[in-house]
Parts: sequence; C-alpha cells; structure tokens
Amino acid sequence: MISVFSLGGFNISMSGDEKDYKEKLIVAVKKEVKQVMEESVTRKFVHEESGSVTSLCGAVENCLSQGLRRRALGLFKTSSTTALLHKVAKHCSEANRISKKVQEIENSDPNRRSSSSSDSVSKPTLKKNLSFPSSPLPRFLWIRLALFDKQLAKIIDYLVSNASKYYDKDALVADPDYGSILSSLLVGPCALDYSRTKSVEQFWTDPPADELVKMHRISSGHSTPPSVRRPILNFGRSLNTSSDDPLLSRNNSQHIAKDYVESLHQNSRAALLFGKNNVLVMPAKDDVTEPMPGYLSLHQTPSGLTIKWTPNQLMNGFTEESQDKSIYWDYALQVRLDEIVYVHCHQDSEAGGTIILVGQDGVQRPPIHFPKGGHMLAFLSCLETGLLPRGRLDPPLWSQRAGANSTTKRRRPLPALSETEEATKDYVFRIIDNSDHKDIFKRKDLMNVKASLPTKVRVQLCSTSTSSESSSKSFSIDQQSVPDSPPSVYIQAVCDSMKKQIISRAFYGWLAYCRHLSTVRTHLSGLVNGKIINGDGASEGITVEKWAELCTDGVVTDYAEVYRYTYFGGIANELRTQIWPYLLGHYKFGSTEEQRKALDEETKQAYENTMSEWLAVEAIVRQRDKEDQAHAIAKLSSESTSGDHAPNELHRDLSNEVFEDVITDDEDSESDHDTPNRKNKKTRENTIRYESEEEVDKGETNKDCDQQQNNVQRNDTGALNSSKILSVEEEEEATCNNNCDNLEPDPREELHDFIHNVIVTNASVDISNIETEGHVRNHLDAVTEENNSSLDTCIETHGLASPARSACVSPASSNGGIYTQELLKTFGLNLHRIEKDVQRCDRNYWYFANENLDKLRNVMCTYVWEHLDIGYMQGMCDLVAPLLVTFDDESLTYACFCHLMERMIENFPNGNAMDCHFANMRSLIQILDAEMYEQMHAHGDYTHFYFCYRWFLLDFKRELVYPDVFTTWEIIWAAQHVASSHFVLFLALALLETYRDIILSNGMDFTDIIKFFNEMAERHDAVAVLKLSRELVLQLQLLIENK
Amino acid sequence: MASNKKVLLKVIILGDSSVGKTSLMNQYVNRKFSNQYKATIGADFLTKEVTIDDRTVTMQIWDTAGQERFQSLGVAFYRGADCCVLVFDVTAPNTFKSLDSWRDEFLIQAAPREPDNFPFVLLGNKVDLEPRAISAKRAQQWCQAKNNMPYFETSAKEGLNVEQAFLAIAKNALAQQNQSVDLYNEFPDQIKLTNTQKSNGGGDSCAC
Repeated sequence: MISVFSLGGFNISMSGDEKDYKEKLIVAVKKEVKQVMEESVTRKFVHEESGSVTSLCGAVENCLSQGLRRRALGLFKTSSTTALLHKVAKHCSEANRISKKVQEIENSDPNRRSSSSSDSVSKPTLKKNLSFPSSPLPRFLWIRLALFDKQLAKIIDYLVSNASKYYDKDALVADPDYGSILSSLLVGPCALDYSRTKSVEQFWTDPPADELVKMHRISSGHSTPPSVRRPILNFGRSLNTSSDDPLLSRNNSQHIAKDYVESLHQNSRAALLFGKNNVLVMPAKDDVTEPMPGYLSLHQTPSGLTIKWTPNQLMNGFTEESQDKSIYWDYALQVRLDEIVYVHCHQDSEAGGTIILVGQDGVQRPPIHFPKGGHMLAFLSCLETGLLPRGRLDPPLWSQRAGANSTTKRRRPLPALSETEEATKDYVFRIIDNSDHKDIFKRKDLMNVKASLPTKVRVQLCSTSTSSESSSKSFSIDQQSVPDSPPSVYIQAVCDSMKKQIISRAFYGWLAYCRHLSTVRTHLSGLVNGKIINGDGASEGITVEKWAELCTDGVVTDYAEVYRYTYFGGIANELRTQIWPYLLGHYKFGSTEEQRKALDEETKQAYENTMSEWLAVEAIVRQRDKEDQAHAIAKLSSESTSGDHAPNELHRDLSNEVFEDVITDDEDSESDHDTPNRKNKKTRENTIRYESEEEVDKGETNKDCDQQQNNVQRNDTGALNSSKILSVEEEEEATCNNNCDNLEPDPREELHDFIHNVIVTNASVDISNIETEGHVRNHLDAVTEENNSSLDTCIETHGLASPARSACVSPASSNGGIYTQELLKTFGLNLHRIEKDVQRCDRNYWYFANENLDKLRNVMCTYVWEHLDIGYMQGMCDLVAPLLVTFDDESLTYACFCHLMERMIENFPNGNAMDCHFANMRSLIQILDAEMYEQMHAHGDYTHFYFCYRWFLLDFKRELVYPDVFTTWEIIWAAQHVASSHFVLFLALALLETYRDIILSNGMDFTDIIKFFNEMAERHDAVAVLKLSRELVLQLQLLIENK
Repeated sequence: MASNKKVLLKVIILGDSSVGKTSLMNQYVNRKFSNQYKATIGADFLTKEVTIDDRTVTMQIWDTAGQERFQSLGVAFYRGADCCVLVFDVTAPNTFKSLDSWRDEFLIQAAPREPDNFPFVLLGNKVDLEPRAISAKRAQQWCQAKNNMPYFETSAKEGLNVEQAFLAIAKNALAQQNQSVDLYNEFPDQIKLTNTQKSNGGGDSCAC
C-alpha cells in the first residue's frame, strides 16, 4: 500500500551473510516489480520517468553488480554494468541493440560525462547512488533503455545463462535459483508500454470521447447529469476567482466524485501515500446512526496532503442500479491537511484506534476509526513522512535516539501508540508548518475565505451581500465546539492565531469579491439583459393550446409572452411553421392574417422573379461548363497522343492559366487541331468588333446596350443553343484571357468590380485595331456607366422584398440584363460551390435523403444571386436546411433565411463577430468557471477557442440532431428579447460545463477538445444543455444585479 | 517540448472543397468510405499510429475546410505541421488550378523554417471517376516544378493507393521532423534506429 520508494534502499554491508544478501536483493527487485505493475494497472500506463521505474532499475543494477568479475573482464576501471553490457553486446543481439542506443545517447552530447562511470555503482550503497544527483542523463541508463525496449529480461536471461563468463561463482546472477528468478521477474515489466507523453499535461492518444464520457458516468455514479448540479458550484466558486488552487473550495460530493475518478485514472498528480479499507467513519449527517466502513487514503499533491475517505458503497461494483448511491457521496470525506491543526488519537487495545482531525477553525472532522492491527500507527507514520520537509508532527511520532552516527538512527514509536500497551491511551499531535510563518498569510489562503470555514458559515457567506460587516458577522456565527482536550499551553496561541486569520481572511475575501464584481460589471454586463424575466409557467413552451390563447383572431399582439414561452420551453413542432417567421422578424406582431397572406404572396412573387434571373445565368454557365468539360477532355486526349506539345504544356502548367476557361487562347486552339472552328470564331469576333466600331462612330451606345439585352432575353426564354450569344461571351472571355496578363485567374478574386472587367474586355480590342483603342475605350466606359445606372433603376423599380439587398454588385434584372464576364464567372463559381455542398447536406436526414435537395439549392442560389458581393460560403447550406425542413416552402424559407443571415453573416470570415465571441467566451469562463479558466490559461493555445468555431458559425446546428436544432434555434431567437442577445455564448459555455469534469480530469488541451467535441457532435443532451445555459444567463444576471 | 515526446507527426490536408479530403482521411484511418460526409466546417483531426522503419509514430491528420475564405482560420491549425498534403480532384480542372495558391497560402501561414524544403505531397483523388480532366503527366509536371513533390493518384472511395500515399506522407513528415530536432534533445525517443538496426549482430547467435 505504501509507496514511499527508497532508492537502493537496502543498506547492507558486503560482509553480511551472502545468502541473506542475495535474498534481500531479490526481494528488492520483487518489490519494485510489483510497484511498477501496480502502477500500470491503476494508472493504465507507466511514465518513463516514474519513480518506480527508477527504483526498479536501481534494484536490478544492484543485482547485476553483485559478484561481477570485474578484474577478469577488465572492467575494474569503469567497474560498471554498462561496460558489461557493451561486452555482452558482441554475443547477444538484444544487448547489442541497447548498447548502440546507449552509445548514441552518450555521444549526442560530448560534454556530458560518460554514463559508463556516472550511472552505475560498483557497490549497492546509497551514497554512491546519490553522488550524481544532478546528472542530466537518467541513472541506470542502459537498464532503463532495455526496459523500455522490452529487452531487459532477455539480456539478463543471457547473462544468467552465461554467468560463468562474467560472474563469480557465488554471485546472484550465477546462482541457479536466483538467476532465473531475476530474469523471470523482469518479464512482466518488459511487457509494459512505457510512456513519456501520457502525463496529465500532455497526452494526445486519449481515449475516444465516448469512452471518456462513459468512464465519467460510471465512476461518478450519479443518475443526474453533471450539468444539472454544476451552476451552483460555479457560482460559489466564482466568488474567489483569484484562487490559485480551487481544490481548496471543494468539499462537495461532486468534487469527491471527480477526485475519485482522478485517483482511479491517470492520476499522476497525486501520489498515494496510504490506503486502507474498512476504516470506520461516522459521517456528520443526521441520517447516519452507525459508523460506516470505507476506504481511507492519504494523497500527496504538490500543494499538500489530502485525506480522503470513501464509503464502501461507492467503492464496490458500479454496475448495479446506482439510483441511491448519490447519497453516499454526501458522506464521503475529503480533508486537506493544510486546514488541520490537531490530530487527536484515541488508542484502544481492544477496538483499534480512532483519529480525530481538528481544523484551524476549531471544528472537528468526523472521527476515523481504524481496525486493530497497527493501522493507525501506519497511517500516522505515513502522515508524518508526507508532511516532511515543510511540516512535522509535534511531538514527533518517532522518538529519535541518536546512535553512533546520524545515518543509522534507530526509531521507535511513541510508547503510547504501540498496541502492546494494554491501557487505553489518548494522544494529541499538533501539525506544525515549518515554512516561513508569513506563508499563512499567503494570498492563496486568504482568498479562499470559505475553504476553512464550517459549511454553515460558508453557505451564509455566499448568500450574503458583499458588505464587510455582514461577512464578518457571519464569521462569528456558529463556531462549533472547540476540541475537547487541547493542551492548555496552546490555547492562547491558537486563539490569537485564529483571530488574526479570521480578520485578515474576511478582509481579503471581501476585497476579492469586490474586485471580482467590478470585473464582471466592466466586461460582461453587455452580454445579458438587465431585466430578469422569470420563466414561471412557461416551461412547457408554446403548446397548441397556448398558441390558440396567444393568437386571437389570427392576430398575435403579446410578443413578450411569445418570446418568454419560447425561451423557457420551445415551440411545439406543428406550430413552428407559423411562429418562426415571427421570431425571425418576417411576420410582424400585430399583423392580421390577410396582411400576412399578402406578404407571403409578395415574397413568393419576388422570389420567383429573382429565380428567373439567375436561372437564365445558370443556363449560360451550364453551357459553358459543358464546353469546358469537352475541351478539357479533348486536351487530355491530345496530350496523350502527341508528345511534342509537352514543353508547351509544361509552360502552361506553370503559369497555371490553362484551366481558366474554354476555348481561350491561341495556344489552345493550335493544339486543338481545330482550325476551321477557330477561323469561324475569328470571323465572328471580327464582326462583333466591327459592329462595335460602327456604334462608336455613331455614338449610339444605347443601341448597343439594347441589342445585348435583347440577346440575353432571348437566352432567357430558353434558347440555350443560341450560339450567337454564347459566342459573344466566348469572345469576350477569349480576348480577356489573351491580352490581360495582369488579370489573375485565381478563383478567389471573385469580385473584380464591374468597371474593371469592362475595361479589361475593352483592352482586348487592341489586337486587331490598335489605332481605335482610345475610341473604343471611351465608348465602353460610357456603356459601363449606362449599364450601371440602368441597373440601379431596375433594382429600384423592381421592389424586391429582400431586406438586405447587396448594394455593391448589381447583377441584372429579369427584364433583360447584361451579363458581364465577371458576373458569369462569379456566379458560375458560386453555383458550383453551392451544388457541391447541397449534394452533401445532411443526406442522412430523411428530408434530404433523396428529394428536396433542389429546393435547398434554389434557396441558396437565390440568396447568393441577391448577395453576390458576399457570395456563397460553406455553412450557409447548413443554416438554410433546418428552415427548409420546417417550412417546406422555398420562398418563406428564403425570406426567413435572409433575416437569419442578418445576424449570422457577421460570423463568417469577413465579419468580426467570431473574434468577439471568442473574447467573450474567455471572459465568461474566467468569471463563471475559474478552474477551467486556469487550465485554459495553462495551455496557451486555448485562447483561440477555435473548438467553438463551428458552434457559433452554425448556431450549433452540427452539434445537435434536427429536433434539438429546432428547439435550440428558436430559443436563441427568443433569447435576445428575454434574457440575452448573446445566448449562443451561454450555450457554448453550457456545453463546456457539461463536460468540464472530463476536460479537467483528462487535462485536455486545445486539440483534445476539438477532437472530443467533434466526436460528441449530435450526441449531446440538448434539453440539459439548454437548461444549463438558461441557468448560466440567470447566474450572470444575478451577479450583475447584485450591486 | 515537441521533440521530447513520443513522435507525433502533424499533417495538414489542403485542397478545394469537395476534392475528398475528409474521405481520404477517413479511408486511411478508419478504412471506411461514406458518401454522406458533410462539408467540413472549422477543422477536425484523426490520429493513427504507423510504424516506419521500426519506429512507431502517431500521425495527427488535420482535415480542413475547403473553401479558401476559411483559410484565415488556418494559422491556428497549420502551426507546427510536419507535412502538408495537397489534394485535387482529377475530374475537376479548377481544383488542380488552385493548388498553387493552396501551397503558397500554407507556406505563408505556417511559416516553416525552410519553406523551400518543407515536405508537400500531392494527391490526385477520385481516379475511379470518369471523365478525367487532369492527366497524371500534367500533375507530375507540376510536381517536378515544385521541388519534386511526390505525387499519388488515389481513390478514397475504393481505397486505392491511400495507404501508400499516407505512408509516404508519414515518411516525409518524419524526415522533416528529424531535421528540425532540437540540439537539446533528451533521451530516449529521438534515437535514430534506422542505421543501427542492420549493421551488426544480425547473424549473431544469442542465447536469449
């Protein structure tokens, strides 16, 4: 049980009985092997730098050094087992491998002292071992390496088999029994995997999210999800954000559950110093009448010692129904030794011993009753060891009698505590902190006012307001009885110390609280609405009956109630079609049914008009795609048949412009073997140019414009094969690509503006007709302006319902338009992107399994057509989908989507909302969950909060299943009118809090969290998360209100 | 820190949307293909253990959003990458065309110490589909011009060449990481076993 390891801790002279000595060596190895194996079982892994590994290596080293024939082997100078290894390496391949590794490591740093002399010892004396404590190379290097490489057992086996060569006759290795025992003992440790990475701070091969959650559920043994009980805790904890060690403030059952999990899994933060089962404790609860058996353990963490006691009911079998187990968590004990001043021991020869811990506050902890058999003494001795070097027991548990030299102290426990004494004895120890007395006033302690106060007082402190008066008052209340029999000498000192501490703690606690509140007010007051609206009676949400009540004669006036009911309970599914347009702002509250019908009609009309616009463009894009495709294939085949074009192609590949578009440059045409066609095109090109020139001469710009409009209109009517129009487009493009090297074909530059494009097109003319260039440019510029103005007029007169029509690019209208090259390119690009994403949007959901994808595409295209400056961005489809599923009506979906996007667009890459969200998340976590914040702070990466990216971008749409998305969305929409216009932040926080124990106990970093939440997508308990997020909003509201 | 750990190779997959980045990753790690993958939003990663030259390394394969506009997110994810995998769709010429900008953007954002020698691997995906628009030759030519970038033609759907491609990726990543190992590299995980293995003792008989 006790794992205070001692390195090479057997201090026996060689002159002793050889047999005895060998026995001891073997026992030491056995012990260490057991320790390592235990560690691997309890922690699931063994860290390479674990103390038990070092001890094991030391023990093995001792065995191997004993009886080594140094002289015979020429090892007397180095006298080391490392030299032995190098010698053996010639004959044993495993040893050879390890020997190489050792040399490599040693050579990697020439300045470093050779490990041959530094890492080994010739005699198993403690002194030797400790003589190179600061060596940068780990001790017992080769043994370590061999162990990690799983070769150690084999190498030793070899040594044992060939012991006569290397060892004296009476050596342990040469002994027929001990030798084989030694090698077989090491088979176990050699089968383990050692890890350098799976420490708490850094491990990335963690179990999948599933397993983590399961593990957590099982071990916490609670039927209620953790989220439900979380907020209160946070609230409590949030009062001392500046605490260095939030452990202090946990006395709660949940925390014990968490700690328990920690101590079972990957708990390399705390060392177990003592463990004993069936220790009886009488929990300080009214409903317990008899002492309960449980597991008592003593843990050492960097910050101090902790005593834990867990009822047996929690220790045994997690499999059975765990309904009533939660109650046992209330009984579990956790005591930080920092808080303890006195240890009272009552020794009874009949019944064993009882220990009562008394805190700084004078409060007794429940008595801990040890069964008979020296367990209390063992516990105390572990406790004393654990206190060193910073603290000690006064009087010392072990009386020391200095012998001849100080290294051989003989120790004997105080007579009172040995059970051989017959009488019943009591004894009191005082725990003394040797460190500087000022430490008591360390900020850490002072900030945690509540940590050492009795529970009742603490509760009161939390609930009272911040005035120092009231908090100091609460300190005086309820001081429980002072321990029975403290030696009178100490009473005065104790009282003084208590008085001082109480006063200073009260002051610092109050100060921390004030600072905290001011932070809250400065940073977070904007995140929630000031007015707290309660959810009385609204938890059912808007049911059909409720809706009938709210919607009288088709008019809904009481919007506050609609929002309130939605926020607290969501909307019945069959009502969503009716209510969502209100929530999104499409329908106005107070509108009559007729008004809404008219609006629907209008919306529909506008939607269809817009669709017809882009459908026309789509037709052109499609046609060009076909040609693109044909061309690409033609090129592919020509490429494969004629090798002489290779240099050409290489050049084009490098410039990477070949793929820009169809029938582009002359180079292509040449390789196409397509001369007739090309001539044909040239002719057409000339014709058009000629026309242009004519028009320039006449100055009839409007005619030109009209003509093109007509052409396009014809195209609108479905004349896809109108080759003339298409050729116009082609020519434009061809000339564009031919002549404008500066035109970057990069698809990302979606938005060359209109004028630029026309000028570019214009520039093309100079090939054939340089002298007219100036003319033509003037002319085309004029056209541009003309077009722009006419389009503006179109838009104005058109009166589309779109609330946020883009002002930047004005594509075209249904009654004729000019499709610039740029427009076609941009829309074509968007179209392709939309199609790619529509094709893979929620195909596993029944609505999108086969049909309805076209509807989604139409809505998406219409939006993008109307907002070409924004363009399609991945994620938009995900935002349309739930609306479409609900409405199953394209125009209504479109209108609502436009409203939704007013808020959401800012989250997309061009907006800045995402950064704000991240910054707000940081502040919120800092305020509401200081412990989590500390951990995040420790991992610098956390500051990005990118694991929330998808949450915010899609309003949690990807995190939840459809029915939950509906509820979540409507609650987000309603929230801004009820509680917070940043409700998504609280949702995000609630998600984090739901899994906080898992995140914290596994020390997850940035990447771990991303992975965890990606794996948990669509598996969250939305109801609980929503409930928790509403609670979090309320928490913050209360914090801010409490002025 | 990084060099002190067990070897972790960070690999970033880049390429236009819908070229099959997610599918390739899942095919490699889980040996599964689904036509129901959604467009990746943000970033995700999977890990896989591979053995290279007797060394077990963990590949952390990052899948990213394909739309260029989301690249601004990249910097957080690209940091510390050991290899970058560029993917295009052999049936979609445009996805090939944008490779240059993906590569450039990565180099800018990840800012590796030696941009010229940073390992990239090019994958031409969807070779199971017809009609093809980009020939192997053209892709290879592009690779030649980019410091002889390795090129693989894959099909995530059929699992064709995926294993080989990622093995090459892992090797390149490992080579990159070994080059940039710190001087203060402590024992024992950075020991190069590659040469020591075969040189000696192979035929030696041993009593073990």
